[in-house]
Amino acid sequence: MKDFDLEGLSREMPYRMPEHFLDDMTERVVSQIAKQQHKQHRERRIVALFASAASVAAVALLFLHPFGGGFDIPDYESISQCASVDEVLQNMTAEELGVYSMMSNYYGN
Amino acid sequence: MKRDQSDIVNNQGSLSVSDESIARLLCDDNHVEEAVRLIMKKYGEPLYWHIRRMVVAHDDAEDCLQETMINVYKYRSTYSNEYPLSSWLYKIATNESLKLLKNRSGFTLSVDDLGVSLKDSVREEAAPDADETLILLQEAIALLPAKQKMVFNLRYYDDKSYEEIHQIVGDSVNTLKTNYHYAVQKIKDYILEHQL
Repeated sequence: MKDFDLEGLSREMPYRMPEHFLDDMTERVVSQIAKQQHKQHRERRIVALFASAASVAAVALLFLHPFGGGFDIPDYESISQCASVDEVLQNMTAEELGVYSMMSNYYGN
Repeated sequence: MKRDQSDIVNNQGSLSVSDESIARLLCDDNHVEEAVRLIMKKYGEPLYWHIRRMVVAHDDAEDCLQETMINVYKYRSTYSNEYPLSSWLYKIATNESLKLLKNRSGFTLSVDDLGVSLKDSVREEAAPDADETLILLQEAIALLPAKQKMVFNLRYYDDKSYEEIHQIVGDSVNTLKTNYHYAVQKIKDYILEHQL
């Protein structure tokens, strides 16, 4: 049976690579990478800016209201001691009613 | 950045930088551009031909090579020194070539169904003065299933060992040897059948 000597064949390709192709490609890739690096750098700066703004706001809040003082927290203990729900609702201010309705929605009652 | 002593100037006068040095530069944000330039200088041509043998058309090879290099930059943190840099580069280039062929084949066909259209492109893409046997060889390669094609090209053209091909393709050495054997047989049959 006839055999073909594959190993003896030239490793040359029947195609051509355009002149300066690799140099042009290198420049294109480098410029794309530079763009991506610039974009990443800008994104990192924005994140850092937001993080410092959030830290400043947190510190400012701590100074203005240390330990949460100054905020009106509904007195849930006295509510639980009342005889009926209707009575509690009648004694509630509009703001407390709002908090109550929000909690009811949350717990599904 | 300090380079290895193995970074030598060869007799053609061009700098031959070790893969270890390139890998170190690649992981350093301030030297990525230098690393990419060195990779293109050292591996640009073999990677281009590896891709071109898979996708045949120059324009497709151009897109794949560009995407390969962008992925080298994007995923540089995933490179592990356990494997040679060249295997990692070839793996990315192989994946990009397969991705392009998969996109070309669409949802209904597999990459292996593209054989005939790739074979037809060989003659269109060949240089006017190209050797007829070399054209037949590329046609035969184009008709091979993707796995056989990858193994054959990496072994026949890039002189890769089965261990290196295993790092690139992922199959066991025995499977690779079988694929190579079948590929050689099919190529010989095709050339004998079509040679004048």
